[in-house]
Amino acid sequence: MLPPTLSAQEASEEQLAFFEKRIRPVLVEHCYQCHSRNAAAKEKLRGGLYLDSRQGILKGGESGAAAIAGKPAESLLISALKFESFEMPPAGKLTVDVIADFEKWIADGMVDPRDGQIAADRKIDINAGREFWAYQPLSQPAIPTVAGVQPATPIDAFIIRKLQEQGMKQVGHADRRILARRLYYDIVGLPPSIDQIESFVKDTRSDAYEQLVDKLLSSPAFGERWGRHWLDVVRYAESITLRGLLYREAWRFRDAVISSFNADVPFNVMARQQVSGDLMEAASREQREMNLLLTGFLSMGNNNLEDQDKAKLRMDVVDEQLETIGRAFLAQTIGCARCHDHKFDPIPTKDYYALAGILRSTESIINANVGRWVELDMPLPEAEQKQLDAMNAQIAALKQEITKLQGSGGDNAPIAVDALEGVVVDDLDAKLVGAWTKSTSSKNFVGANYQHDGAAGKGEKSAEFTPPEPLEGEYEVRFAVAHGGNRAPKVNVTVWSADGESTTEVNQQKKPPILGRFVSLGKHRFTANTDAKVTVSTANTTQHVIIDAVQFLPVDLKGSPTKVVTDEDAKERAAALKVAQATLKKLEAERPSKIRYMTVSEQKEIGDTQVHIRGNAHNLGESVSRGFLQVVSHEDSPAIDDTQSGRRQLGDWLVSSQNPLAPRVYANRIWHWLIGTGIVRTVDNFGTTGELPSHPELLDYLASRFVENGWSTKQLVREIVLSSTYQLSSNSNENYSAVDPENRLLSSMNRRRIDAESLLDTLLVTSGSIDNRLGGSLIPAGITTDYDFPHDSRRRAVYWPVFRNSLPDLFVVFDFANPSMVVGRRDVSSTAPQSLFLMNNDWVIQQSQQMADKWLAQHELDVQSRTEAVVYTILGRKPRSSEQQLIMQYVVAAGDDKMEQQRRWTQVIQTLFSSVDFRYIY
Amino acid sequence: MDGIGFTRRQALSMSACGFGQLALAGLLNDTANAAPANPMLAKQSHFPQKAKRVIFLFMQGGPSQVDSFDYKPLLYKKNGEELAFDDARVIANTGKRGSAQKVMQPLWDFNQYGECGHWASDLFPETARHMDKLCMLHSMHTEGVAHGPATLFLHCGATNFVRPSMGSWISYGLGSENDNLPGFVSICPSPGNGGARNYGSAFLPPAFQGTTLGSAGRPSKNAKIRDLVNGRFDKKQQSEQFDLLRQINSAQLSDRRGDAELESVVSSFELAWRLQNNAPGVLDLSDESEQTLKLYGIDEPKTTDFGQQCLMARRLAESGVRYIQSTYGDGSPNPAWDQHSNLPKHLDHARAVDRPVAGLLEDLDRRGLLEDTLVWWGAEFGRTPYAQNNGTGRDHNPNGFTTWLAGGGVKPGFAYGATDEFGHKAVENKTHMHDLHATILHLLGMDHTRLTYRYSGRDFRLTDVHGEVVSEIIA
Repeated sequence: MLPPTLSAQEASEEQLAFFEKRIRPVLVEHCYQCHSRNAAAKEKLRGGLYLDSRQGILKGGESGAAAIAGKPAESLLISALKFESFEMPPAGKLTVDVIADFEKWIADGMVDPRDGQIAADRKIDINAGREFWAYQPLSQPAIPTVAGVQPATPIDAFIIRKLQEQGMKQVGHADRRILARRLYYDIVGLPPSIDQIESFVKDTRSDAYEQLVDKLLSSPAFGERWGRHWLDVVRYAESITLRGLLYREAWRFRDAVISSFNADVPFNVMARQQVSGDLMEAASREQREMNLLLTGFLSMGNNNLEDQDKAKLRMDVVDEQLETIGRAFLAQTIGCARCHDHKFDPIPTKDYYALAGILRSTESIINANVGRWVELDMPLPEAEQKQLDAMNAQIAALKQEITKLQGSGGDNAPIAVDALEGVVVDDLDAKLVGAWTKSTSSKNFVGANYQHDGAAGKGEKSAEFTPPEPLEGEYEVRFAVAHGGNRAPKVNVTVWSADGESTTEVNQQKKPPILGRFVSLGKHRFTANTDAKVTVSTANTTQHVIIDAVQFLPVDLKGSPTKVVTDEDAKERAAALKVAQATLKKLEAERPSKIRYMTVSEQKEIGDTQVHIRGNAHNLGESVSRGFLQVVSHEDSPAIDDTQSGRRQLGDWLVSSQNPLAPRVYANRIWHWLIGTGIVRTVDNFGTTGELPSHPELLDYLASRFVENGWSTKQLVREIVLSSTYQLSSNSNENYSAVDPENRLLSSMNRRRIDAESLLDTLLVTSGSIDNRLGGSLIPAGITTDYDFPHDSRRRAVYWPVFRNSLPDLFVVFDFANPSMVVGRRDVSSTAPQSLFLMNNDWVIQQSQQMADKWLAQHELDVQSRTEAVVYTILGRKPRSSEQQLIMQYVVAAGDDKMEQQRRWTQVIQTLFSSVDFRYIY
Repeated sequence: MDGIGFTRRQALSMSACGFGQLALAGLLNDTANAAPANPMLAKQSHFPQKAKRVIFLFMQGGPSQVDSFDYKPLLYKKNGEELAFDDARVIANTGKRGSAQKVMQPLWDFNQYGECGHWASDLFPETARHMDKLCMLHSMHTEGVAHGPATLFLHCGATNFVRPSMGSWISYGLGSENDNLPGFVSICPSPGNGGARNYGSAFLPPAFQGTTLGSAGRPSKNAKIRDLVNGRFDKKQQSEQFDLLRQINSAQLSDRRGDAELESVVSSFELAWRLQNNAPGVLDLSDESEQTLKLYGIDEPKTTDFGQQCLMARRLAESGVRYIQSTYGDGSPNPAWDQHSNLPKHLDHARAVDRPVAGLLEDLDRRGLLEDTLVWWGAEFGRTPYAQNNGTGRDHNPNGFTTWLAGGGVKPGFAYGATDEFGHKAVENKTHMHDLHATILHLLGMDHTRLTYRYSGRDFRLTDVHGEVVSEIIA
């Protein structure tokens, strides 16, 4: 064999001719389209593999060397051509002769006159990457001084400074009614009543506004509003699309989020709880519960549990979690690095798999044909757990006693082994040869099940029933058969006793005479030193052979098979049974119900993960130590050892004081939710493909303040809404529309569209039908899938089940967050289905009619004051004269006809819900 | 401008021709003063279209290719023999190739049809009469062994990740031909196997999601657009109310003249009003002649349901809807065509769809619509040429199956690609589902590598980084 280093110069004419005639044309025709420099120039290069030069083939692509000169059997190129590893070329297998040519060519040393430099791999420069603004440490920017005006707050100073640079000024403050409506919707997501608005308008105290802000921040509705914002980010849902399987316990996560926002749990704690709550220490039981409930974050993904390729599914789940963690907390598109180094951001594939190793060491899916997410029982404090264990033991004992007392629940119910007299050997304790299948299809069995031979492997299967202790004396031996039509009509069952062996032919199709399940094999004598056993063979049988149990019944027990012996006994037992059943019922009612919650757990096998080449779970590369994104890592990144997945360290790293992303991203989200646009408008993407901040210093100021104030959401919300900028009118200065068409500099406030939840809640509030209870699940007990769920509730929108296959219609049309992805910024669309919904939907008309009835019932009101009240309730302001006139005209046309009045008022109210002044928060 | 990562010009240039405005609207959709452009406006394609619209007849569950259009005489010879096959499910579960399987011959006889002489079995005698119109793709292969992943792959080009469905991509790319109707309609979609994701817009703006009519497993005569009709107020009452709304909105807008977004909200009511007054007519089959109803099998209980779906599809196509999917399926995890056991049940499904499908082809042809309407018949995968567990049915087969296209610029009476001699794996001119997607976009005048949407820092495509246009089948 020629040396593997042979090059063109040393090659013989013959070898060169072979290449030119047999190899090159095939490469050109079938491979170059995707594997050549020409393909690379057209961005069509696949797998990083070049087949247009010898170096390219030897170096190979992402899966490693394509060929080893002299070793065709070890060459990927050959196995790919044979469709054994890859299937190349994809359009169809080449002929056997062609593949043989390639084998020969490689075996002969790969003579190849083609020359060519391969472009060097692009390497990510992490240090250069750190220069990007988002990865820079948080700065503590000085509050800018501005000329001529005294900014009300530091936030305003940053905003006004930028405006002044453009020679711009802010507009004046919004009208107090507008301001009240704005605050209510922003902080609690609910419309203010007329009284609430008026009392604010009339409140002359200098801190009236601040008072209102604090009142709203302390309302439990704050958590419902702001918890829902966060639920958008964590793709909260109560079902998965595939098969519509229900996440019945997901609501506990939602309620935990809501109560965390209400309790103003520091966000750095909340972040760690969501990623690693199960691994955190807890100071109290309540905290432990919150820690566990919030891990639901990791299990909300909309995964395709049915995927048959479980290795791929496992990595898909990891990928979903990584993408969510990356975007939610860091606004990084980590998922881009699954198949190749991130094309834009300093995230190498290695970093992806460093993180993936952590989540791959976390159990999120229990494998099965259709996999299952992880649900656990909420642990109890030791004392309570002990109490519960004791209760459970008591219940179990009672149940057993009841089974015994019941003896046989009839010929067609299972009998517990314990309920039987004598020595009973169950099939589970029998010695079995060959494959037997457990079943409970027929109910007249003993113990937990019976077994059958599947009518297959006749003669290869047998069973042997041996008593655990030697027997002494005379016993009636009984053989249990859960009979049936497809059973074997002739089965030889042999008793081995002191008298030798005795075989009985049992017909398993016939109902056995004793207790509907036992056939007597006769009386036999046993001694301690002789074999005592019963054997069953499937030889020479047809159809299914059943084995279930053997009972050795001492003959002095008068031959009764169960412990119910006399009439007298029976009466006693019936009485005892009653008592036992009553006790059981009571105990079960008293037993505290276990809380189930969605979560993850640590894998049994923990360890690093290999790079999955091009994201393929079956094409593995080098192993990568678990760790974090290098670009935002620092010296004291927490170490991960082999006893833990590393999630705890991941949680710590996400919110560590030196990671500038988490506070920046979160502060920006809050700004976005209050102001309508983020300082970085791409709130989920702080990478180089995202936008740059409009006010980088302001963002750092907010992020630093946020950290200083102990990561308090409420403090940050408070600081922003107390700024003068937040209180500006949303009527923009027309002169600025050319300079700053998108109002990036905030010379005025942004008007914002009312979102799906506020719309729904407002209709319920104004119709008077709202049910303000907090928390709980709205999924009815009877349903098994989320298909076509008839949503209808008087509860706030945040509690309506988020079903991925059937969201409430209102959510679908009014741009509710897609519950399968991280959504920090909802779409705002104006579509015909929205209008159709407001114009024609029965529920909308029904709510409008209820509101009409409510106001019509106030007989003291005349048309004018009723009009005023209705408009004020819906729009948060008094009617314009034109509106007043139009509405009055419309309703007066009803005359004295009550039905007509109701109809017209209903239409007026419905129309106001469709009007732009309702659809917008000004 | 300070603070924005890209300029308008960059935003325009980074997306393909004709989509600039749209991509920009998508990127900046929540900015304060930018007006969301009406996303459904008809848009220019990349190059001239061969097809203006698509009707996709989805045979949910996976009809067997070897019992319908992929004729394999060897199966009769080897019937009952136990041979080694690379079973997709076994490989996915265990990685093991070459498991022993018992060959099962087709249950229906095959005949040659038309001038082209292509084969079809007795399952589809009516469709087969149109053989000279059909373009058979015998070498389809796809991803996903189970229904869930494969169905998502068929619709969205991904087995697991949440991606926009094909109809959403197409209406994003082309808009609607009719201002009064949505661009993407899905008739009786199945709630199962991906459900809403199969007509969802994922990260594309919600305006591009499919409008659903009814649900699989329910009578199609009840399939309607939601909230299209007002059940409470009569025409006159509603018309008065609509005038009131116009006047109130106009009064409210007087303070905010020139606010394009507010105006877009107001104009969405005008569009809804037109929709309400026009769309019900499109879906009302009562003005169809008896002859037409008969053509679609709406005169016979077995074929009425899918016949109505096909007729609705034609009416929507005629009215300018871009992408119409009509599903023959149900809501169960093992959908209609999924005969793991009891393969003879294929006949019931074939009888339910054969006449309606043939009727649709005939009707489109008569009306001159077939020329620029692409009809696509197919499923998420095919079935194995061997019996499952030696039983009476066939398991899923993503490695080789048949799909056919008709009209819309594909070669009529043509057959492309081939499976191996058992009809198991595609071997000749293999056509991956990504390739089919690329080809359909191509027929609609779009380059699948240029129909992109930037989300989460990446430019996404229906075909990810794959897909080759199968130019051989284009007329």
